[in-house]
Amino acid sequence: MAVNDNDLHILRDIGFAVKPGESIAIVGASGSGKSTLLSLLAGLDSPSKGEIYLDGEPIHQFNEEQRAQLRGKSVGFIFQAFMLVQSLTALENVMLPAELAGKDNAKQMAEELLERVGLGDRVSHFPNQLSGGEQQRVAIARAFITKPKILFADEPSANLDGKNGHMIEDLLFELNQQYGATLVLVTHDDKLAGRCERILRMCDGELTETEQGSQTNVV
Amino acid sequence: MWFKLALRLFKRELGRGELTIIAIAITLAVLSVFSLSSVSSRIQDAILQKSASFIAADRVLQSANALAEDYFADAPLDGLRQAKHITFSSMVFYNDELQLAGVKAVTELHPLRGQLVLSDSPFGEQTRLKGAPARGEVWVSRRVIDVLDIAVGKELEVGAAKFKVTGVLIEEPDSGFNPFNQNPRVMMNYADVPMTEVIQPGSRITYRYLFAGEEDNVKALTDWVEPQLLDNQRWYGVKDRQSPVTNALERAESFLLLAGLLGVILAAVAIAVAAQRYCQRHYDPVAIFKTLGASSKQVRQIYVTHLIFLTLMSVIAGLAIGYGIQSVVFEMVKDFLPKPLPELGAKPFVMAVVTGISCSLMFSLYPLLQLFNIPPLRVLRRNEGDMAKNNWGYLIVSGLTVFLLMWGYSQSLKISATLFIVGATLIVVLLLVSRLFVNAGRAIGVRPSNPFHLAMASIKRRVRANSVQLITFTIAIHLLLSLSILKNDIIGEWQNQLPKDAPNHFLANVTGAELAEVKKLLTQQDIHTEGLFPIVRGRLVGVDDERLIQFVSKEKEDKSDAGGRQGIGRELNMTWRSDLPKGNEIAEGQWLKADSKAEVSVESKVAERMDIKLGSNLTFLIGAQEYKAKVTSLRTVDWNTMQPNFFMIFSDDVLANFPATYITSFHVSDEQKQPLNKFLRDYPTIMVIEVGAIIGQIQSTIDQVSIAIEFVLLIVVIAGVLVLTAQVQASIEERQQEIVILRTLGAKGSLIKNAVMLEFLMIGVIAGVMATIATEILLAVLQTQMFSMDIAIHWDIWWMGPVIGGVFVASVGLLSTVKLLTRNTSQMLRSVNM
Repeated sequence: MAVNDNDLHILRDIGFAVKPGESIAIVGASGSGKSTLLSLLAGLDSPSKGEIYLDGEPIHQFNEEQRAQLRGKSVGFIFQAFMLVQSLTALENVMLPAELAGKDNAKQMAEELLERVGLGDRVSHFPNQLSGGEQQRVAIARAFITKPKILFADEPSANLDGKNGHMIEDLLFELNQQYGATLVLVTHDDKLAGRCERILRMCDGELTETEQGSQTNVV
Repeated sequence: MWFKLALRLFKRELGRGELTIIAIAITLAVLSVFSLSSVSSRIQDAILQKSASFIAADRVLQSANALAEDYFADAPLDGLRQAKHITFSSMVFYNDELQLAGVKAVTELHPLRGQLVLSDSPFGEQTRLKGAPARGEVWVSRRVIDVLDIAVGKELEVGAAKFKVTGVLIEEPDSGFNPFNQNPRVMMNYADVPMTEVIQPGSRITYRYLFAGEEDNVKALTDWVEPQLLDNQRWYGVKDRQSPVTNALERAESFLLLAGLLGVILAAVAIAVAAQRYCQRHYDPVAIFKTLGASSKQVRQIYVTHLIFLTLMSVIAGLAIGYGIQSVVFEMVKDFLPKPLPELGAKPFVMAVVTGISCSLMFSLYPLLQLFNIPPLRVLRRNEGDMAKNNWGYLIVSGLTVFLLMWGYSQSLKISATLFIVGATLIVVLLLVSRLFVNAGRAIGVRPSNPFHLAMASIKRRVRANSVQLITFTIAIHLLLSLSILKNDIIGEWQNQLPKDAPNHFLANVTGAELAEVKKLLTQQDIHTEGLFPIVRGRLVGVDDERLIQFVSKEKEDKSDAGGRQGIGRELNMTWRSDLPKGNEIAEGQWLKADSKAEVSVESKVAERMDIKLGSNLTFLIGAQEYKAKVTSLRTVDWNTMQPNFFMIFSDDVLANFPATYITSFHVSDEQKQPLNKFLRDYPTIMVIEVGAIIGQIQSTIDQVSIAIEFVLLIVVIAGVLVLTAQVQASIEERQQEIVILRTLGAKGSLIKNAVMLEFLMIGVIAGVMATIATEILLAVLQTQMFSMDIAIHWDIWWMGPVIGGVFVASVGLLSTVKLLTRNTSQMLRSVNM
């Protein structure tokens, strides 16, 4: 697999499969290509060569519209920088994917999820009125509202202090367990990676080893 | 679903800067177009209608012969009112006294525009009316009463018929304005003319056919009449006549047009700047929407809905405010305007709505297209989709829109193309100059503890953004300066032309014997004049060796001096004088000296028309004798001054031995009127012409036009302020991240504030200087090409431009920065993260 970016091969010779319900971690140093891999796996970008199947669909053949449709239907996201829409409240941010998908009970589901992540009393706050940890909890609630089959998390706790980071990690694994989603986690934190069933290590755009996670299915 | 989301986002965004600016800008564009095309054009219509009273109609067909009965049989006369009158000179008699009178025979509807002022005694109560004297009756001017010693109720002989005098004619709207040789008026009914038997073959008679109605109908008739005009016929409207009013109107029209155009363009720039900023700020949300599964269609729907909401809101607001303003303005000026007021019509609405929609669409189109193309990948790669492509497409679309707006608005390809090309050239020059300025700053080193160095560093870092900013600032300041200067120049020139103490009386036909008494009266009453001008009447019969008759037709000259003064070919009023009269300037040659012999100074337009050159020898017939005089100077004359003006001014020796009458003009206050009238009753042959009414009309016209101009300027100022604010706001947000970093690193609020303020101050001052230079250049072009005024350097703006630029840009910048600084650092860090 390769991404043509100024004729630079960022990823090459990568091949692996993730089973439904499995949790995998992609680890590696900064610049090793793990975020690029994530963008391709999640259908945010398309490869110049190679094949990617997401939920059985050949997304390397999809155009942006088809990929967006698939993302809306089957994929959830959690980002290092939270990526909340600043002009929408916590509740509205959580409702967003459900609304885009045309679901009727978006508000009720969002309220339940916010309650679930412990922000039941902060539904009408705007992102800049929330702490980093709270913002990421909103993002987690948002990721699960469409009951995605696969969840992509990009350094979910990297922007948070230790305590908040752990809380977020716990919440992520907890909900993932509960919703039975496949989890693809990108991190440079070996400890966090260790909480996944499988670890893929990236180095200079290549997958150097795969290993079993030390703690599988931690709840 | 998307609609709810769009609505929600829209409501939230309304509180933030860009949408407000876009909304205000669209509102302003709509408002200015609406109010311009309703208020000012209605005021103009009203003024035009009012000034139409100067010719008592909207259009007049003047003919030296009576037209055939069925002349107008096939003419498009729908919706037009008609009247006609005949004017001729005739002796009138009463009790063996006789007087040459200017007889005017009118039909019942005369005057179509304006009113007659009538009284039952020379100084009795006055009534305003339209209409003609009844059959067998005449109305006469005061002078007829004075000279013939006749009274109302007595019978006056005109030609072969006798008429009962039933009124004193104080004022007629179309009396014209000819202080020379105006015979006292006798007005009679059109149907009575045959009774007088004065109209014989060869009589000098002028027939005038008057028309008034809607402009469209008048235009239709114009199109019908003009192709069949004969040499001795003229078709004219009030605008065809060179008078102070038409000059004022034309300048005001040009100014309003220009100002309205610039207002709309400024509003469009504000929209463009704010829309660009709005869209940039939505790059992240759009990337998030797409990541979360939104289709391109959904994204488009959301933002197009925003644009539609915003446009609808703003257009409605613009129309509502515009309607309110025009109601208020009309309430204020309705007393000055003739009734009924012209209808508002649908045109202002249509024009305003079209302008609002095209501004909002065309200037936000390109930023929106870029927004729609933001890839979802931006959620991971934070600068994905940032302005990488060049903006040629946007430039072309915007430029084309500006041009089309200008064209549609001015209805003149020439004006819009000229302004557009000048504007585009200006922008290119400014771009180069601003780069130069900014690059010059590179020489200065950076020490972060000093706000000046921080500011310079900041300017250097954003060379490209700053150039754009500098241009926007420069253009906005430039337009504001230009318009306000132009406004002052125009209004100032009008006021100079007709100061409050402009002469309102002419005294003519003063004989040499009466001269001393008149001078005494003027001294006693402390009345200032430009002197008493002697008049000798004569004919210009030859230029060099050529006799004149062959190459000057009467019609030609009639067309060119429509003000009603006698022209060349007929008898001329000639004077002699050793000092140059006020309002006269020597264009060529030397003004007469005290010892000049047989010399003449000729008015330059007449000279041009008659092909008279400096050094030409002119031959005049005065009485029965021919005299020659050499042309030693050509003069330009300001005919708009209310004082006697002359085509020919001689050296003392030529005319001094001829019996002369004298003429002068002066301002008389209400208190001075009584003694003046008393004096005049003792000297019935002295002719007095009151022009106070005409001056009053001109002054009120100028007042109204000034209101329209001030109003338009206000709108343009608001548009300019909006552009500046939009631009400062946009660049403040760009600085946000930097401010946060400086703040986080412990920089004092005052250091940041001072640095930002200095940066904006410098940009503002530079923009001000460039705007000032551009303004002087533009004004020179406009004043000479569009307003036929003289070039003048405007020293005021050399400090005003930079000061206004610096202070305004710095204060808006500072205000926005202070707002940023009041938020705590972590809050800012969070919003910058997003």
